[in-house]
Amino acid sequence: MKVFFPKKEAFGWTLTEAAADGAIPSDYSYAVVPPKKLIFPQEEIFFEFQQTADEGLQLRETLPELPPQVIVGVRPCDGRAVAALDQVFSGSFEDPYYWRRRRATILVGLACNTPPSNNCFCSSLEGSPSSEEGLDVLLTDLGDRYYVRGLTEKGKELIRAQSSLFSDPTEEEKKLRNKISQEGAQKIKRHLEAARELPPKLKTMFDSPFWEEAALSCIRCGICTYLCPTCHCFDINDETRALAPLKGRRVRTWDTCQFPDFTMHSSGHNPRPNKAARLRQRLLHKFLYFVELYDRFQCVGCGRCLDLCPVGIDIIEVLSKARNHGA
Amino acid sequence: MVSEDKLREEVKKLLQEGKIKYFIGYENGGPGWLARPAFIQQPEAVSRLIWSPGCVHNLTRFLQDEKRRRAREKNPDLRPVGLIVKGCDSRAINVLLQEKYIERKDVYLIGVSCELLGVVDEAKITRRLYPAKPLQVRFGAKETILVLTDQGEREIAASEVLADRCLECPANFPLVADIVLGEKINRPNPQPYQSIASFEAKSLEERWAFWQEQFSRCLRCYACRSVCPMCYCDECVADSIVYAVSADTTAEEKAQKVKWVERNPEPQENIFYHLVRAIHLAGRCVDCGECERVCPVGLPLRLLNKKLEKEAKALFGYEVGLDANSPPLISCFRDNDPQDFIR
Repeated sequence: MKVFFPKKEAFGWTLTEAAADGAIPSDYSYAVVPPKKLIFPQEEIFFEFQQTADEGLQLRETLPELPPQVIVGVRPCDGRAVAALDQVFSGSFEDPYYWRRRRATILVGLACNTPPSNNCFCSSLEGSPSSEEGLDVLLTDLGDRYYVRGLTEKGKELIRAQSSLFSDPTEEEKKLRNKISQEGAQKIKRHLEAARELPPKLKTMFDSPFWEEAALSCIRCGICTYLCPTCHCFDINDETRALAPLKGRRVRTWDTCQFPDFTMHSSGHNPRPNKAARLRQRLLHKFLYFVELYDRFQCVGCGRCLDLCPVGIDIIEVLSKARNHGA
Repeated sequence: MVSEDKLREEVKKLLQEGKIKYFIGYENGGPGWLARPAFIQQPEAVSRLIWSPGCVHNLTRFLQDEKRRRAREKNPDLRPVGLIVKGCDSRAINVLLQEKYIERKDVYLIGVSCELLGVVDEAKITRRLYPAKPLQVRFGAKETILVLTDQGEREIAASEVLADRCLECPANFPLVADIVLGEKINRPNPQPYQSIASFEAKSLEERWAFWQEQFSRCLRCYACRSVCPMCYCDECVADSIVYAVSADTTAEEKAQKVKWVERNPEPQENIFYHLVRAIHLAGRCVDCGECERVCPVGLPLRLLNKKLEKEAKALFGYEVGLDANSPPLISCFRDNDPQDFIR
C-alpha cells in the first residue's frame, strides 16, 4: 500500500508518497497539483508496439498495475472533483486505465475548518467544506484528535483494519464536529450568486463580444486547466522510439483548451482560433455543457485557478459579469 | 515618487485625443493582492490605473496579442498602443525593436522609474507576514513597502521583500519611453549575478542532479513561455502540431514534421523544452523574472536565464536591451569574435 500525504514545498503543498505518521500540519491549505494527478496522471501509456520482419506488428497492453494507494488530506472540493471525473470516465465507455487507478485509490478527506484559500467558493456550487461526495473517509480536525467518518465500504474497511486506533465519538465530539463544519462554511469569503442561473444565460452568449473583453489579459497558459481538479481533456500520441525495427508506444497526456493546438484540425484550421474562444470554452464546458450532460457543475470552487492565474483572471468575477451581461 | 494622478492624467489625455488605440496599465482588484494588467479603452476608465510595488507584470508581452490582432483584421486600427514600462520592461521593448518585431511608432510608452524600490516577491511577503494575509501593497517612504493585511497595516524594509531580480537590477530606470514618471536614481552597487554565484560554485554533477530534480516537477503548462515577451514565435518547437500549414502542405509533409519534444512530462522531454527555451533567450532575456514568478511548481528559471546573460556578457561584452539600434547578439557576427571556429 502506498500513502500520499501533504508535504510543504517552497512553492506550496504537494501530495507526496510518505509514511503518514502524524497529524496533517495545521497550516496545510491544498495541494497545488490536485489529487486528480494520482488517478488521471498527466501521462498514461496505453500500449507499446513494435514491428519486426519475423513477427510483424505486435502490441503489448500496459494497463496500470498498482498497489492500493491512500491519499490523505484530500479537500472536500477535490473529492467532489473526483466524483465528477468518475462520471466522465464511465457511462457508455468505462475507461479501464482510469478505473484501475480509481479502484486502487482510497481518498481520505480533510474537512476545511477554515477555507484553504481566500478564493474558496465551494458553497456557491453545491459543495461545502465538509462535503463527503467522492471521499472514502472524512476527517474533521477537532484540535487534538480527528473526528473520523467511514463513508464507503473501502473507507470503513480501512478503519476496521486499524480499529484499535479509533473509538466511538461522544455526544460532545459529535456536537463539536457539527459546530466546526458550520463555522467552516461561514468563513468562506467568496460567493458566486445563483450559479444555476448561469447555464441558460451562457447558452445565449456563444457569439457575444463579452469573451473578447474578458480574455484581454489572458496569456493562454495551461495553469487554470492543468491545476483544475476537474479538467480532464487529453491528447493521445504515438511516440516512436525507433524506426527500424519500429518501436514505440501510445500515450495519453493531459491537454488543455487554452493551448493554441487544442482541437486544431490537420488542415491548420482551428475552430477556437483565439484566446477569447478558448476562455469561452473553459467556462462553457464547466458551467453549461457539463451541466447539460451530467446535471452538475464541472467546477467545485477550489479557488486554484483564481489563486494561480498569472494575470489575475477571476472566474467568479467573469461569471458574475456574464450573468449580468446585456441585462 | 511616481504620481498616480499624473499617470491617469496623461493616459486620459492620450485617449481623449485619440493618440493611442488603448492603454495597458495596472489595476487593483482581482483574486489576489498583487496588481493585475488593465486594458483601458475609455478616458473615464483611467481612474482604475495604479502604480504600486504589486505591478510585477511585464506588459510588453501583450504586444504579441496586438500584433496578431492586426494580422487578423482587414482594416486594423494602426494607432500605437500605450503601455507602462518599468526599467526591465523598457529593455524588453528595446529587444523587440532590435528584432524588428515591433516598430517604435507601434507603441506609446509611459516609463516609470523604480527609483530605489521595485516590485515585490509575492512569496517573500506571504512568508514574512504569515499568519496575517496581505490585501494590498503600496510604496512607503524611505525604501519601505507598506502592506495592508487582514490584521492591519505593516511596514517592511524593501530589501526584505523585493523580487530578487529587482535587488539585482542594473537599470531601474526606463531606457526608452515617451514620458517618464519618477526620478532617475541609480541603485547603489547592484549585484547583477548574485543569485547564480553560489550555484556556479557547485560541481557539474551537483548541478545536473539539481536540474533533473527540478525539471521532473514541470507540468509543461507553458506559463513560462506564455508570459514571456520574447517567446513570440508563431511556431514553437515544443508544440506538437502548431506549424505553418498552408493549402499546399501535403499529408506527407505534415506526417514527416519532426516532433522534437513529446508531450509527455517525463524529465528528458521537460529538460529538452527548458533548454531550448533558455538557449533561445540567450542575449534576449531582460530578466523581468516573469517566467519564474508564474511557475506554479516553483522552477528556478531565472538561474538558467541569468547564467546565459552572464555568458553573453563575458564572451561578447553584450548586455541585453540597452540599445535598440545595435544588432541582436545571436544574429550578428563580428570579425573579432573571440572563438576561432566561427571565423
